Amino acid sequence: MDSAPSFALAAGGSPLLAVRGLVKTYLMPPEKPGAPPRIVEVLRGLDLDIAPGEMVGLTGQSGSGKSTFLNVIGALDHPTAGQVLFEGEDVFSRAAGGLAIFRNETVGFIFQSHHLLPEFTALENAMMPGLIRRLARSEARQAALEMLSRVGLAERMDHKPGELSGGEQQRVALARALCLRPRLLLADEPTGNLDPATADGIHRLLTELNAALGITMVIVTHNERLAEALPRRLRLSAGCLV
Amino acid sequence: MNRPLACSGCHVTASTQPAPSPPDHAAAEPRKVARNVPRVFSAATFGFAAAGVLSAPLVAGFGQMALGDRLGLASGLATVLAVLAGGLVALLGGLLGAMAGRRIGFYEIGSAVLLLLAVLLGPVLVTVRGQHAAGLAIAAWEAQGSLVVVLGLILTGALAGTFAFIGASAGYLLFGSGRFDPSLSYELFVAKSHLRLAPRTLFGLFLLVVTGIVPGLLVALAWSYRRERAQRRAERRGEMALRPRMPATLLMTLISIGGVAIGVWALTVVLSVMSGFEGDLKAKILGTRAHGMLQKYGQNDFSEWRQVRQQVLAVPGVVGATPFIYNEVMLSADQNLTGTLLEAIDPRTVGTVIDLPRTIQEGKLDYLEHPEQIPPSPERRGTDALFGEPPPKKSEPSRKADVAPKTDTAPKGAEGPPLGPAPSSGRATPPKVMPGIIVGREMAHALRVFVGDTVNVISPLGELGPSGPQPKSRAFRVAAVFYSGMYEYDSKFAYIELTEAQRFFGTGQSVTGLEIKVRDVDEARPILRRVLAALEGYPYRVRDWGELNRNLFSALMMEKVVMAVILAFIVLVASFIIVATLIMQVLDKRREIAVLKSMGAGEPSVMKIFVAEGIVIGAVGTVFGLILGFGTCLLIDKVGIPLDPEVYYISNLPVRMDPVEFVLVAVLALALSYLATLYPASKASRLEPVEGLRSE
Repeated sequence: MDSAPSFALAAGGSPLLAVRGLVKTYLMPPEKPGAPPRIVEVLRGLDLDIAPGEMVGLTGQSGSGKSTFLNVIGALDHPTAGQVLFEGEDVFSRAAGGLAIFRNETVGFIFQSHHLLPEFTALENAMMPGLIRRLARSEARQAALEMLSRVGLAERMDHKPGELSGGEQQRVALARALCLRPRLLLADEPTGNLDPATADGIHRLLTELNAALGITMVIVTHNERLAEALPRRLRLSAGCLV
Repeated sequence: MNRPLACSGCHVTASTQPAPSPPDHAAAEPRKVARNVPRVFSAATFGFAAAGVLSAPLVAGFGQMALGDRLGLASGLATVLAVLAGGLVALLGGLLGAMAGRRIGFYEIGSAVLLLLAVLLGPVLVTVRGQHAAGLAIAAWEAQGSLVVVLGLILTGALAGTFAFIGASAGYLLFGSGRFDPSLSYELFVAKSHLRLAPRTLFGLFLLVVTGIVPGLLVALAWSYRRERAQRRAERRGEMALRPRMPATLLMTLISIGGVAIGVWALTVVLSVMSGFEGDLKAKILGTRAHGMLQKYGQNDFSEWRQVRQQVLAVPGVVGATPFIYNEVMLSADQNLTGTLLEAIDPRTVGTVIDLPRTIQEGKLDYLEHPEQIPPSPERRGTDALFGEPPPKKSEPSRKADVAPKTDTAPKGAEGPPLGPAPSSGRATPPKVMPGIIVGREMAHALRVFVGDTVNVISPLGELGPSGPQPKSRAFRVAAVFYSGMYEYDSKFAYIELTEAQRFFGTGQSVTGLEIKVRDVDEARPILRRVLAALEGYPYRVRDWGELNRNLFSALMMEKVVMAVILAFIVLVASFIIVATLIMQVLDKRREIAVLKSMGAGEPSVMKIFVAEGIVIGAVGTVFGLILGFGTCLLIDKVGIPLDPEVYYISNLPVRMDPVEFVLVAVLALALSYLATLYPASKASRLEPVEGLRSE
C-alpha cells in the first residue's frame, strides 16, 4: 500500500485526482471605507496527484488552507486559478448542475462537527444522499442500512443526532458520506471534537473502510499521532504543500 | 512514502520564507481555467421569454374575438378564457426560456416586459403626438381617457410578465438540473422538518382563527398562564421542568398560515354575500319584471297581439307571454299623491310570466276581474274594533290589516255607510262598481290605503277640453297589495285589468307589448333572438332583462370586482408574510442548506425545498380559509344576520356560494403564495455551501 501509488504514478498510471496550479484568493472588504479591498491568498499554486485507493493525511497549522483545499477539490468552492482533474476531467468546466452531480456521485464529505440534520433519525440522515440522487426510498434505505451496520450503528438507526454520542454522530456522518460508495472521501478533521479513544476508533474505522471498499481518502487532521499512522502524509504551510 | 509526490507549484524554500515567493509565482504563471460560467443575460432565454410575452396579448385579443364573437360565449367567460390562453402562451415562453438558460432569467423576462410595454405604448404615444387620428388605439384613447388606456396596457404587460415569470420559475424548478426532474422526494421531507406542522399545532391555529382573534388570544393567554404557573411551581420545589419552546420560525409559519386563511376567508365570504345580493336582486327583478319584452317600433297600434302571442309561445324556450300596457299616471287618495307606472295586465296569463300572483299579500288577483267581490275598507273594521266587535271575516291575509289601523291614524270614515264600498274621501259613494287596482306595499303605505279603499288614477293624457287637454281621472278600488321586496317596485308599480286600461286610455284593442318569460334566464338573449326571427323582425323588437336593467347589474358587477381587488390585498399582504417567514427560515437553515449541497443537492433542488414550504403554508392557509368561508356562509344562510328591512329592504343578509368563486380565490391565494416563495427560495439555492458550513 505504501509504495504502490508512487509506482503507479511513476509508471504513468493515471491519478484519480490531479490538482494543477491551484490558487485560491479571497477578496476581503477593506478595513477602512475607500481603501482597496484586501487580498488574502489562501492557496498559492498547489500541484498534487492522488492515486486511486490512496489514503492521504493532510496536516498543517490553523489557517494554512487545509479546509479550503478540501472544499476546492470537493467542488464545494471554486478555485481562483488552476485545475482539479478527476480522472482527467476538469471538474470546474462543468456547469453548476454538473458540480452538484459530481458532489453527489463522486465525493463524500465528513466535517469536524458532524453536520447531521437534527430533525431526522440516523437512518434518515444516512438516506439523504440516496434520496438526493433520486433513488427509490427503499433503495436509499437499503444502502443507508448497509453502511450504518458497517459503522456499527444498525441498532441505533432510529435515534436522532441529539440522542447519540459524539463518536456515534461522527460514525453516522461517515455512513452518510459513504452510503453511495463515492470514489473519494474528504474528511475535514473528523476527530477534532472527539476524545482520543473515540478518535482512535474513528481512524481505525476509516482505515478499515479504505481497505475494504478501496475508497480514496483525504483526511485533514491536527492530530499528529493519528496522522503518523496514515500511509501518505502531506503538510500545508502558508498555502503551499511542503 | 512520506515525501510529497508532487508540489511543483511551491518552492521548497517557501516553507521557510512563505511570504514573497509564491505570489510571484502565481503572477508569473497564471493558468487559464476553462470554466463554465453562464452569461448573466442569455439571448436564447430572452428570445423565448419575449416571444411568449409579446404573443400573449395577441393570443388574448384574438381569443376574445374567436370565443366571444364566433362561438358566442358569454362575454365574461370569453374574456377569462382568452386571458388564460394568453397567460398560457406567456407561461410557455417563460418555461422554454428557463429550460434553455437553466435559470429563471429575471433580467430576460424583465426586458421582455419592457419590450412589450414599448410595443404597446409606443404607437399610442406616437399617434397621439402626431395627431394622426387613425386606428383603434386613438379611438380608445379618446373614448376612455388616456389614463385608463395607459393603465390597461401596463396591466397587460404586468400580467404577461407574471405569467412568464411563473412559467420560468416552474421551468427552472423542473429542468434546472439539466434533466427533467419533477421529483420532490427529499425536498418535501426536508420542508416538512422545517415547517414542523404537527396536526395538533394546526388544530390549535385553526381554533384560534375560528374563535376570532380576541377570544382566541384569551384562550392562548390562559394556556400560557397555566404552563408558566406549573413551571414556577416546579422551580419552587426545586424540580426540573421542561418547558417546550416554540421556535421563532414555527411562530412565523403559523402567523403566515393565519394571514392567508384570514384573507381567503374574507374574500370568499364577501364575494358570497355580494353574489347573494346580486342573486336576490336578480330574483326580485326577474320575479316582478319579465325576462324580456316584445314591442313594436314607433307604432302605437299593437292590436294583433293575440295572434303574435301564439307565435311567441310556439318558440322553443319561451314558457309564457302576457300582454301589457304601460302608462305613467298619478294616484291620489285623499291628500296623498304619488306618481306611478301603471301597468295593465291580463290576470289570466300574467301568472305565467311574472310572480305577481305569488307576491300578493292582501286581497286577491281575481278581484281585478271581479271588482264587486272586493271586501269593504278596513276603516269600517277599525271603527268596529273601537266598538269591541270582532273584525269581519276577510280574505286570507288579515295579519297586515290588523296591524294597519295603528299606522293609519285618521279614521275618517266613521260617518260612512255601514255597507258597500267605503269612501276614503268625504265624497259620496259612486253607485256603480269601481274597477280594481293592485298597488305595492310601499305605495299603499304612502297613500295610506288598504284593500277596499278608493284611489283616483289621474292620467295626463286626457281629452281636449274647452281650455286645452284635460287630465282624465277615474276612481279605482284597491283590490290587492303586493310585496315584491324591491323598494322601487313596491313604491312605483300599480296594476289594473287590461280591458279596463284600454277603455280608460282609449287605446282600443292595442297593447304596449308582450312580456315574455323564458325557461333559462341566462339564455334569455338567444331565445328572444329566436322570437324576433319567428316574427320576421321589423317592426317588432325585443329586449331582455339584461338590457332593461343594464345600469343596475353593471354597477353591481363593478362593485363586486372592486371589493374583490381590495380584499385580494389581504391575501397579498399575507404572501408578504410568507416572504418574511421564508427569509427567516433560509437564514435559520444556512448550515443545513450547505450540508445538503455538499451531499450533491443542486440549486433547483434546494429551491424546491423552500418553494414547497411556501406552497404548503399557502395551501394550509387556503384550506383553512375556504373551510372558514364555507362555514361562515352556511352560518349566515342558516342562522341569518337580520338587516333593518326599512333600510336595506332585505330582512336577512343574503348569501350565495359560487363554487367557481371559491376555486378562483383558492387559485389566487396559491399563486400568490408561489410567487412569494421565489425570492427567498432562489436566495437559498444560490447560497455558497462554504459560507453555510462556516457559519456556526
